[in-house]
Amino acid sequence: MQRISRREFVKRTAVTGAMLTSVTSIQAFLAACNTSTSTSSKPSKLTIAAVQGAEDGPLKKVAPMYQSQSGITIEVVEFPYDQLFEKLVTTFQANGSSYDLCMMDDPWMPKFGTMGALQPLDTNFGFTRDADIPSIVYDVGTWPPPNGPVPPTEQGKSPHLYGITIVGNVEMFMYRKDLSSSPPTTWDDVLANAKKFNKSGFSGYVIRGKATNPASSDSLPILWSFGGDIFDANWKVMLDSTASIDAITFLTQTLKKYAEPGAENTDAADRDRLIAIGHAFQSTTWPAEVTGVVEAQGVSQVIGKMGYIPIPQGPSGKGIGMMGNWLLGIPKGSHNGSYAAAFIKWLIQADNMKTYVQNGGIPTRTSLLNDPTLGQANPYFPALAKSLAAPPNWRPRTDQWNAVETIYGTAVNQAVAGLKSPKDALTAAASQIRTTMKQAGYPS
Amino acid sequence: MSRLVAEPPTPTAPQPVRVGRRRRSRQERLAYLILLPALGTVFVIVTIPFILVLMQSISADDGTLVGLRNFSRALGNPLLYDALRATGVYTLIVLPTEILLGLTFALLVHRTVRRSGVRAAVYVLAIVPLVVPPVAIGVVARLIYAPSYGVLNVILERLGLLHQEINWLGNPTLAMLSVASVDVWQWTPFVYLVLFSGLQTVPRESVEAAQLDGATWWTQFLYIEFSYLRPLFLLILFFRLADVLRVFDHIFILTGGGPGTTTQLLSLYMYRIEFKFFDSGQAAALAVIVLVSISILYALITRVLPLERE
Repeated sequence: MQRISRREFVKRTAVTGAMLTSVTSIQAFLAACNTSTSTSSKPSKLTIAAVQGAEDGPLKKVAPMYQSQSGITIEVVEFPYDQLFEKLVTTFQANGSSYDLCMMDDPWMPKFGTMGALQPLDTNFGFTRDADIPSIVYDVGTWPPPNGPVPPTEQGKSPHLYGITIVGNVEMFMYRKDLSSSPPTTWDDVLANAKKFNKSGFSGYVIRGKATNPASSDSLPILWSFGGDIFDANWKVMLDSTASIDAITFLTQTLKKYAEPGAENTDAADRDRLIAIGHAFQSTTWPAEVTGVVEAQGVSQVIGKMGYIPIPQGPSGKGIGMMGNWLLGIPKGSHNGSYAAAFIKWLIQADNMKTYVQNGGIPTRTSLLNDPTLGQANPYFPALAKSLAAPPNWRPRTDQWNAVETIYGTAVNQAVAGLKSPKDALTAAASQIRTTMKQAGYPS
Repeated sequence: MSRLVAEPPTPTAPQPVRVGRRRRSRQERLAYLILLPALGTVFVIVTIPFILVLMQSISADDGTLVGLRNFSRALGNPLLYDALRATGVYTLIVLPTEILLGLTFALLVHRTVRRSGVRAAVYVLAIVPLVVPPVAIGVVARLIYAPSYGVLNVILERLGLLHQEINWLGNPTLAMLSVASVDVWQWTPFVYLVLFSGLQTVPRESVEAAQLDGATWWTQFLYIEFSYLRPLFLLILFFRLADVLRVFDHIFILTGGGPGTTTQLLSLYMYRIEFKFFDSGQAAALAVIVLVSISILYALITRVLPLERE
């Protein structure tokens, strides 16, 4: 047994600590540089970065089926909405290989497409369009966008499919069909019903007016249905146009008279609660809100009392829903691209998608949306099928969308709260958006 | 196998006298060696990121150097001044309130509660808000202040104090007070704990002598206890100022910065510049500006409120 002095012991400990620190630093540096090597052998598992909530629940439920069929484990790593986006952006910036698949909200596609963060599913893995799935569903996963304005940096690039929708979200409209004999077809009908049914403790309309994303999502279908928009076909900002101001005035002043108290702080959960306890007549809605709360057994008091329809028509003569599809894509850094692609193909096969729907999934296949058996458990399916066929709008396909949404959603919130008139709020927002877009190289 | 033993005593033979530089130098080398792991860690997790932020603040997205353009863009953004105003108002509400309440509780418990069991119970109660995650606090606070189903409105209505619902989170003034109240609830116990521990260091003899001389509660506090607490006030100010600059979770959940930008504090504004606008150059410039400003502020505070007890 070798004896060492206390001084020697301290010295050795210090040296060991210093070496460990150095090794850790070098490892961290190497990891940051992504020096790992790729493998093409069959992986034991595929890792999916997913959004936590109703959107990824069905995916987790069908994952074991795939494991039993293929022998590959599907590991779903969940993040809250905002964190998932930030996590993916930082992972893509580092070209990391942490995830073989990622769930993406459709407004994220421009950012990821511009970054070149994803592997093309058509050229790399042979994905083709299926006639049972509406074209818009493939279009939303294509970059650069096959129609509408294309960001200046992306013009001239050939479009490729980078994402496949697994949650066919489209914003719709819900109302109390037990109280009204016919569904509203226009926003004037919506206003008339709001007036008619509004009383103490029962709101004629629910505005989801919390600042930024909620206010933006709630108001965009109205903006579009009134003929307004944020950009025209050449990226010129038209948020301060008469049609846009009229739309936001209608929402934040005319309709607000019959809306719930505290509309400027209402988010989706608050809206669902008001509807589910029978304290409100109508509002816009997303499928996940319907399945998660409004039609959920043991939660809602209005099961079977709600009617679901596409977004009502505005003065433009159109009722335009908003897409909120969740897509699956394969990060460029993934070393298991072909296996990840095989999983996506498996998931969207008609029979597997049916199982997925039976587990709470929101389908994109028209045959499933119009399936009467599935429709009984999901009363909004016919409205969703119509909304997808309409087709709905997607949010402007620019990598600046998050910034634009923050500015626009704050302006709408200011108008809902009465801090500014709709005209002043939109004029200021339009100016800010012009500056932002100009700095990003857009011809605003 | 090595075994740790005490160093053997110096043998009888006279050792050459190691004086001055060589001996100190050896000790210094050992000291530096011991410090190396800690310094290395600090270098990796603090210095490198700081250098990267500095580089980012003078670079464009593609890495080209742009001088101070990011700084001028950051300072030219009118939303920055909204955020600074909101942060200033928030600070002016929460800091004095927390210090006043924390001091009052600390003095009350110190002077009136003698039983150690009760003191321990108060101590545990004071710890609870500090260990609850801010997100959870935000969610609970939303249940209290939310429109239409908020617990506070329901209680006030049932007590007959309210006939029309108060829009706690929709009115700009009330929204600021609501988010500030959450901070006060969570961090007053921290002030209490620090000041209460400071009060334990006041020599009993001094207090007894003052009491014999007829000192009142107030004079006892002002002329004896306050001088022991002064360095702790500075500590509280430092910690809480830093915390206020980091406040995020409960505001994000309660108001999302609204109505409008009324409660969009500096941290939320910087988050949005980085993760919503993806303007990493401007976000980095903001981070540097905040770091420099807070360093100057801390230096001024240290000069005005000297750390040492007189």
